[in-house]
Amino acid sequence: MAEILKNRQLQIAVMALAFLLVFVPYFIEVPALEAASTKLITITAIVNAVTLILALQSQIRRGLNIVQRRQTGWYFKAYMIITMVLMVVFAFFGRETGPYHWVMYAVVNPLSSVNYGILAFYMASTAARAFRARNTQALLLLTTGFIVLLYQAPLTGAYAPWLEPIALYFGDTFGMAAGRMFLISVTVGAIVFGVRVLMGKETSVLGVGKEEV
Amino acid sequence: MSDNSLMKTLATYDRRWVYLVLFLVVVGPLLRPIGMPISVSPDTRQYYEAISSVEEGDKILFTLNTEFSGYNEIQAGIVATMRVFIEHNTKICVAVGHPEATGIPELVFNQLRSELDANGYVYGEDYVILGYVMPNEASVASMSQDFQGAITQDWLGRSIDDTFLSEINTWEDWDLIADFTTGLATTYLLNHFALRGTPMTVNCIGVMIASQKPYVDSGVYLAILQSMRGGAELEYLTGHPGPGLTAMDAFTFGHYMLLLFIIAGNVGYYGYTRQQRGGG
Repeated sequence: MAEILKNRQLQIAVMALAFLLVFVPYFIEVPALEAASTKLITITAIVNAVTLILALQSQIRRGLNIVQRRQTGWYFKAYMIITMVLMVVFAFFGRETGPYHWVMYAVVNPLSSVNYGILAFYMASTAARAFRARNTQALLLLTTGFIVLLYQAPLTGAYAPWLEPIALYFGDTFGMAAGRMFLISVTVGAIVFGVRVLMGKETSVLGVGKEEV
Repeated sequence: MSDNSLMKTLATYDRRWVYLVLFLVVVGPLLRPIGMPISVSPDTRQYYEAISSVEEGDKILFTLNTEFSGYNEIQAGIVATMRVFIEHNTKICVAVGHPEATGIPELVFNQLRSELDANGYVYGEDYVILGYVMPNEASVASMSQDFQGAITQDWLGRSIDDTFLSEINTWEDWDLIADFTTGLATTYLLNHFALRGTPMTVNCIGVMIASQKPYVDSGVYLAILQSMRGGAELEYLTGHPGPGLTAMDAFTFGHYMLLLFIIAGNVGYYGYTRQQRGGG
């Protein structure tokens, strides 16, 4: 039985069937097919939720292994395991009050916020040192960035409204073109990847073998 | 200081000067706000018109696709938008796309307690918090096609049977999705709600604007609210100053500081670095 389930053709056939079951109802209205598709999606969502428990178990087992062997940074793993277990235990005392609530607002919230706030310093430093008019292209980028940055400062908009149409022009033309190009290329890439998966040329998603060119 | 040493300083200043000056220009105005005037962008006006067009009893899916970290950037937009929805007596369902975000609804509703009381909002009848129900695409797709099959209780395990959510079955039953995002489940909401026809607005962080704007232009989103600045502009339009407008002084000074550093760096580049390289 295990050998049958490991069969690559069978796995691809099941994947293709699941794909068609979800994909086709977008274009053809067949109530029975739609019901089956919806059921399959709900089952997938439930299976996904259950994998969280698997992830928890896997993380603890891997972490304990590293702690027992005293590998580099083992104390971080120990800290992770302790906090994971504590949060699960705390949740049993309620989430609107008690220790879970305290950890959420007195520890997680400020730490997460500080982590994000620090990025502003790195971004400012990088922008200040990287924007150099080294050549014509860099000069164009610098000029555009300068105008947009100046417009983004709220006070500028209040005292120099003439800058708004220029900054918006850059966003609505060059910025929009770049944004569209990014979205379209990602989408086309995803479609190509999907076709390759269905053709059995992208077996990495099955967890076996290497891709074929 | 000779001209050359000044140019060298401008070209090679230590990055810690940027950190120090940025810290000072941000913290100063936050501690003592000046109240500088701001302008309102066309995007924010469009967003305000979109969220103001909701009617009493409209069912709104209010999605928080953010961690605590990103919440700080878009909280002005979140609170101001929620205030508009409460003032219009809509039915609000809050769903989140990150475990941390389960703590955010409390922060939002605590700031709007007087509005909730003034409009007689009752939990279950007028608003429900679902919690972390959007961990992946399958969950969002399931919510879109079979809401009752996917969601049976709120974030504290209470049944949603007797709430307004019992009237929700598919994506067609929502009057609006208001998404607040750092980029988590927004693509899934786009794929399974907005592209099918559910009206949707988005308030995203700054780095996402370029990738989200095309969806406004193509009509998939009704409107976009840009980052903290958009939130501040919305606070201005709604007439309720909050964290966004408070931060705008620091926002302005931070931008001007950065521009000065860029100018200084380029003066140093042409006055020192290029000459050192023989670029004259």
